[in-house]
Amino acid sequence: MAVMAGALGELMLTGGVLVLLFVVYTLWGTGIQTAAAQNDLRNQFELQLDEVDLDTDEDEPQAAYEGLELGDAYGILRIPRFGENWEKIIVQGVEDEDLKNGPGHYLDSADPGELGNFAVAGHRSGHGEPFARFPELQEGDIIEVETATGIYQYQLYDAPDGDSDGNKIEIQDSWVADPVPGEPSSAEPSESLLTLTTCWPRWGSSHRMYATGILISSEER
Amino acid sequence: MYAWVWRHLPGPWPVRLFIYLVLILGIVAALFFWVFPWVEDTFDINRVTVG
Repeated sequence: MAVMAGALGELMLTGGVLVLLFVVYTLWGTGIQTAAAQNDLRNQFELQLDEVDLDTDEDEPQAAYEGLELGDAYGILRIPRFGENWEKIIVQGVEDEDLKNGPGHYLDSADPGELGNFAVAGHRSGHGEPFARFPELQEGDIIEVETATGIYQYQLYDAPDGDSDGNKIEIQDSWVADPVPGEPSSAEPSESLLTLTTCWPRWGSSHRMYATGILISSEER
Repeated sequence: MYAWVWRHLPGPWPVRLFIYLVLILGIVAALFFWVFPWVEDTFDINRVTVG
């Protein structure tokens, strides 16, 4: 009996340690891989910029995006609300494998500066938690995106505004990333928008959270 | 179970301690590199995309 109780105790202790280790993995372990990936992606993006300088085709600026594969460096995202020098490299695609390395560009969404909706998803917990402070985003905040084609500034007109439950939506609410949010996805866009999505709650995935802005300035290369 | 493993390790106690630590380190590494990523992907606990 005493042996049984001892074995049971050891099992329970082991279970507790496993859970703790998983928390350590989520909080810290996943970030190590992301930091290394962000470094590689930054180098990759700088190489892309060099290539753009070499063969600039001014008639076809969007061609810069056509060669991109899933997981490739796409551009730089800057959000002053998250810190003066806050910037992350955006990757092409929003599969799990892509988002582990940084915020990801929804493949079917527009490219920056284009008419339509440039949509980006990012983690709020683990994997470098790029969007950890997402609820702090305010209407009027500037979001800057730099890609091979130029530098684009968007101003948020729809944001959580400091409310931890602000702009909470269902998982299926893909309309936020539509070319014209709120209109049928076939609607012809007349504005250039940016939409960011992340998880809600921060340490779960039962819902989503979003913020949307409109292009206010663009500086083509 | 931990005492059982200890009794079945060879050598004097410093050697046993070393082997034990290496064993634990190996298991933790396996958890971090394979088991935890699998758990995360399989149980949908960290999704951030709509649709």
